[in-house]
Amino acid sequence: MLPSTAQTAEIVIRNDLAELANLRDGLERIGAELGVPGKPLMQLQVALDEIASNAIKYGWPDGGNHKLCVRITGQQNQIEIEIVDDGREFDPRLAPPPEAAPAGRRRPGGLGIHMVKQLVDRVDYERVGGHNRTVMTKRYARRRESSNSTVEWYAS
Amino acid sequence: MLKGRVDSTSANDVMLCLSNLISAGEKAILVDLGGLLYLTSAAFRVLLVATDEAERGAARLALCNVIGHVRELFEMGGLLDAFTIHGSREEALAQLS
Repeated sequence: MLPSTAQTAEIVIRNDLAELANLRDGLERIGAELGVPGKPLMQLQVALDEIASNAIKYGWPDGGNHKLCVRITGQQNQIEIEIVDDGREFDPRLAPPPEAAPAGRRRPGGLGIHMVKQLVDRVDYERVGGHNRTVMTKRYARRRESSNSTVEWYAS
Repeated sequence: MLKGRVDSTSANDVMLCLSNLISAGEKAILVDLGGLLYLTSAAFRVLLVATDEAERGAARLALCNVIGHVRELFEMGGLLDAFTIHGSREEALAQLS
């Protein structure tokens, strides 16, 4: 069934990498309900994993129990994912790109955020009330019901 | 052969598997990515570290079937040159043997 208005889902996870599976599955479910094609859905899943895992790994140097609140809003042709956490301030827009090591082999620091910037159409950030609020927006062309629509998306 | 998704939650399992092969003395390791839906930077990190580990053990680690969405992710990361990548499994096995 195609949605006529925005659909929103909220998922709250603890700062534990194992809980990222809940985000992945939640996004998959919403994507299926909205008819998001495989490729943009996969790109959003990678981007969400990068932002959320980054927060979990580096947001709380002293550890402790914290939460990440993720709100996924799907509209006709775009999905917006908002991630809110009370971790250390981190603006992904300002993260430097990964650098090639002198020996030629790329070291992977900063790689995830570098990929996020290419995977979604827009990354917004604000620090509000001691929280990071990161919002990723991705537009997509909704999957058509015809049998060859999948082929189109997988062809590139 | 890797299947499904390799992300922050599953990358460590892949690292463990590759480390075990390297420490068992395998000299030629081929990772077939043909069954992957996607991989994240956590997976790239594992593959880079395993490639280094293999080299230190005088072994070779190569990838094959890096295609479609997965290949695009390698391109986004600027990582196609960081690995030895073969087209098909057959081609890779011929090179590694």
